[in-house]
Amino acid sequence: MTSRTLKNGMKVLVQSDHSIPNVAMYIFYRIGSRNERPGTTGLSHFFEHMMFNGAKKYGPGELDKVMEGNGGSNNAYTTQNVTVYQDWFPHSTLPLIFDIEADRIRDLNFDPQKIESERGVVASERRLSVDNSNNGLLDEQLWATAFVAHPYQWPVVGWMSDIEHWTIADLKHHFEMGYSPSNATMVVVGDVTPEEIFQLCEKFIEPIPSHAPPPPVTTVEPEQLGERRLVVRKPAELPLLSIAYHIPRTNSPDFYALNILRTVVFQGESSRMYQRLVDKDQIALGVESQVENAFDPTLLEINAQPKQGVDPQACEKAIYEELDRVKNTGIADRELEKAKNIRLVEFYRQMRTISGRANTIGTYEVFFGDYNRLFEAAKNYGGVTKEDVQRVAKTYFGANNRTVATLLPENEEKAKQ
Amino acid sequence: MKFRNAVRLLALATFSLMICSAASAQSLRLPPHEKVVFKNGLTVLLMEKHGVPMVSFSAIVKTGSAADPAGQEGLASVTAELLRKGTKTRTAQQFAADLDFIGGAFDAGAGPDFTTISAEFLTKDLARGLDLFADAVLRPTFPLEEADKLLAQGIDGVKAAKDDPESVLFSYYDGYLLSGHLYGRPGGGDELSLKNIKREAIAKFYETHYAPGNTILAVAGEFNTVEMRKKLEDVLGAWPAKTVQPLPIPSAAPVKGKRLLLIDKPDATQTYFAIGNLGTAVTEPDRVAIRVVNTLFGGRFTSMLNEALRVESGLSYGAGSFFDSRKTPGPFAMYSFTKNESTVQALDLALQTLEKLHKEGVTEEQLKSAKSYLKGQFPPTIETSGQLARRIAANEFYGLDDNEVNQLEARIDAVTPEIARQVIQKHFPKENLVFVVIGKASTIGPVVQKYAGKEDSRAISDPGFWPPPGTNVSRK
Repeated sequence: MTSRTLKNGMKVLVQSDHSIPNVAMYIFYRIGSRNERPGTTGLSHFFEHMMFNGAKKYGPGELDKVMEGNGGSNNAYTTQNVTVYQDWFPHSTLPLIFDIEADRIRDLNFDPQKIESERGVVASERRLSVDNSNNGLLDEQLWATAFVAHPYQWPVVGWMSDIEHWTIADLKHHFEMGYSPSNATMVVVGDVTPEEIFQLCEKFIEPIPSHAPPPPVTTVEPEQLGERRLVVRKPAELPLLSIAYHIPRTNSPDFYALNILRTVVFQGESSRMYQRLVDKDQIALGVESQVENAFDPTLLEINAQPKQGVDPQACEKAIYEELDRVKNTGIADRELEKAKNIRLVEFYRQMRTISGRANTIGTYEVFFGDYNRLFEAAKNYGGVTKEDVQRVAKTYFGANNRTVATLLPENEEKAKQ
Repeated sequence: MKFRNAVRLLALATFSLMICSAASAQSLRLPPHEKVVFKNGLTVLLMEKHGVPMVSFSAIVKTGSAADPAGQEGLASVTAELLRKGTKTRTAQQFAADLDFIGGAFDAGAGPDFTTISAEFLTKDLARGLDLFADAVLRPTFPLEEADKLLAQGIDGVKAAKDDPESVLFSYYDGYLLSGHLYGRPGGGDELSLKNIKREAIAKFYETHYAPGNTILAVAGEFNTVEMRKKLEDVLGAWPAKTVQPLPIPSAAPVKGKRLLLIDKPDATQTYFAIGNLGTAVTEPDRVAIRVVNTLFGGRFTSMLNEALRVESGLSYGAGSFFDSRKTPGPFAMYSFTKNESTVQALDLALQTLEKLHKEGVTEEQLKSAKSYLKGQFPPTIETSGQLARRIAANEFYGLDDNEVNQLEARIDAVTPEIARQVIQKHFPKENLVFVVIGKASTIGPVVQKYAGKEDSRAISDPGFWPPPGTNVSRK
C-alpha cells in the first residue's frame, strides 16, 4: 500500500494486484446529505447524477459512451456522509480514465435540459426505492422521527417536493462547496504500479486548484429522552417493524464492541434473534440489524419482517427480551469467539476482489481518518471482551433511546375512508 | 446511486452463463483445473488457486425446479433449503452453530435446470467445512417440524415479495410467456403450491434426484489438489451410486401475436413492465454474437434502451434487456418502470427502440464499443474462487468447455455487422410480443389495452402468479 497527498490536498492510496488485468478506482468525497438544508434535500445525490452529465471536454452523455466504449464501466453512490465515484476498467484505459475524472472534477457543466431529464430519473429512483417499497418508506419515516435537529433526519434521495424544485444555482453552489480536491480521497487497486498512478495524478489531478472544504456540520442531535413511535398505514400484504437506537459515530471506541454485539445477536442462523424470532417463536420471516458508517452519531437499526397475522408488537416484545438478556447476563465465551471468527472471514471476503478492497480501504481512510486502521481491525476486534459487549448493550439499548416504526397493512377501501 | 441493474440479473447469475458472462482479455484464461470421476459416478472438478486463504465448493445436482410436480411448485427449492435443517448427526440448530462458528457460508437453492449447493470456508477450517458440506448433501433427514417452518416462511415470503413490484415482475412474466411449459412455473413456489408440499414429497425428491452420478462438484481456492482429491474421496466416495432418470425439457414455443397481462397494484405510483418473447438456450451457437448485440440493445448503461428511457427522456431510473438462457430456450425480456402518467410513453419508447434495432441494425462503430466493453468487464467475473467454482460447474453441466472463457475474446471479435443483422432477425422478437405490466389498473388499464389483441388481468394480492392456480393451461 502506497499513499501520497497531492499538492492540492487530495490523498491518493494505491495498492498493486496483478491477478486480473483490471483496475478499480474509487473517489470518496466527504459530502453527503448531512451537508444539505431543508428545501434542497437530496441535492448531494442529484449532484452525483449530474457528475455523469457533461463537463468541458466530455459533454452530456459522452463520459459513459467513451468509458464503456473503451472497456470501462462506472457507478456511484451517495450516503448521508459521502459521495463515492467508482470506475472499473482494464489497465490499458488508465490515462483515459484520468482524463475523464479530471475533466469533471475541474470543469463540470450544467446543461439545463439535462437537469430536467435527470430530475425525472431521480424521481423515478425515489418511486422505486421509497414510494413503492414498504421497507424504503418505513425507513425514511424512522430516520425522520429519530432525528429532530441533525440533518440525518431527511432522506438521501430527498423529499419528492425538493426533487421537483432544485435549481441550477443549487447545483453550482453544491459543486463549489463539496468538490474541492482536498475534500476527496482517491483509492486505486489492481493492475497498476504506484509510480504510474502518481505520474497520472501529477499530470491530471494535481493542477486542479483546491478551495475551502464544506462548512462543518455543527448541529448536534440532542439526547433522546423518551421512546418515539410511529405508524405507517398503507395497502400491503405483510406488516413491517423497525426499531432504531442512537449510537456514536463510526470513529468511536465502541465501534468494535457494537459490531461484535451485532454479530452475536443478529448474524447467521445461529444468532440469538434468528433462533428466537424465526426458529423458535416463528413470528418473523427474518430479522436483521443495520448500521451505516457515519461522521456523526447515528442509528443502529433493527428490521424485522413479521409473519402474516402476527402483531408486530409480538416481534417487538421478543426483540426487547433478547436485548435484555444481553444486558442482564452478557454473552457466552463461545459466542464471542464465533463473532471474532466471523469478522475475520468477512475481512477476507471484502479484500478478495480489487473492487471490495478499494471500497474497504477508502472507507477506513475516510471514516477512521487512516487506512491503516483497516489492518488493525483484527487486533481491535480481538481485544473486545464479553464485558465490553454487555456494557455497550446496556449503554445503547435503553427504552428512552429508541424509535419504533411499524407499517400496518390496510386494504384499499379502508385507506380511502 | 447512479444505476442499479434489475434484481433479476443478479439473482440469475448463478444459473445462467449468458447472463453473467462477457469476454476475456487475450492473456486471460481459466486457471488450470482437473476433472475426476469417482467410482460412484460423482464428477469432481478441482481448481487450485492461491492468494486468498479460502476454499469454495459449488455442487450442481442436475435436477432443478423444472422437475417440480404440477401443483407442488417450489419442491426442488424447498428440498435444497432444507438440506441444512437437520442431518443424521446435527439438528438444524447445531448445523447453524457449527457453520457460523467458523464463519462459513452455506447456500442451497434450485434454478430451473439444476440445484446448486455452495459453501465457502477459510482454508484452515477446511476439515470442519467439508464435514458440514457433506453432512448436508449426503445425510439430510428433513425433520417434519423444519419442513413446516420453512414452507410457512416460503408462503409469507411470496406475499412480502408482492409488496415490492420490482421483485415479482419476472415471476409473472415467466409464467405468462411460458404458460404451460416446465419453465413457466414459479421455481420458488407460490402461496398455494407451497401449501401442497408434504414432508414425504421432499424426502422422496431427495431420494430420487440427489445421487453422485447426478452431481457435479467444483472446488476452487487455496488447497493442494492431491490432498483435496484424497479428502473428497474419503468423504464423498462412499455416497452410494444410484440411477437417476434425466428429465427431458422440451423447447417451449414462442408466443404468437400480442398478449398482455395486467397485474393490479392499486397503491402503485409507478408502472413496472417487461416485454418480449422466447429467447435462447445456453448452448445456442449464436450465443456470443447475441451477447454482443444485447450489450448494445439493453445490456449496459449506454444501451439503446437505457439511452431512450433514461438518458434522453428522463422517464425512468433504468431500462434494459436480457436473455435468461437455460438448457432449452428461456425468456428474453426488455424491462423498465415509469410513473403512472408516462406509462404509455415509456412502453411506446421501448417498442420503438426494438423496432429501431430491427430496422437499422448495429454499425461497425457500435460493435467496436460493445466488444471493448465486454472484454474489459469480463476479468472481474472470474476473480474469486467462488465465481470460478460456479462457472466450471455450470460449464460442465451444460457441456461447455474452457473455450467459453479462453476463446471468448476471439469469438467476440469475430462478430460483424452482417452477423449482428442475422442475430437480430433470428433472436430478437419483432411482431409477436408478450407484455406484463404491474401498476395501478384503474389508471393504466384503459391505456395499455392498445398493445395487445388478448388481455388478461389479476390483482397482485390474488394468490399465485400466472396462470391462476388451479387452472389447466395447454398452449398448443
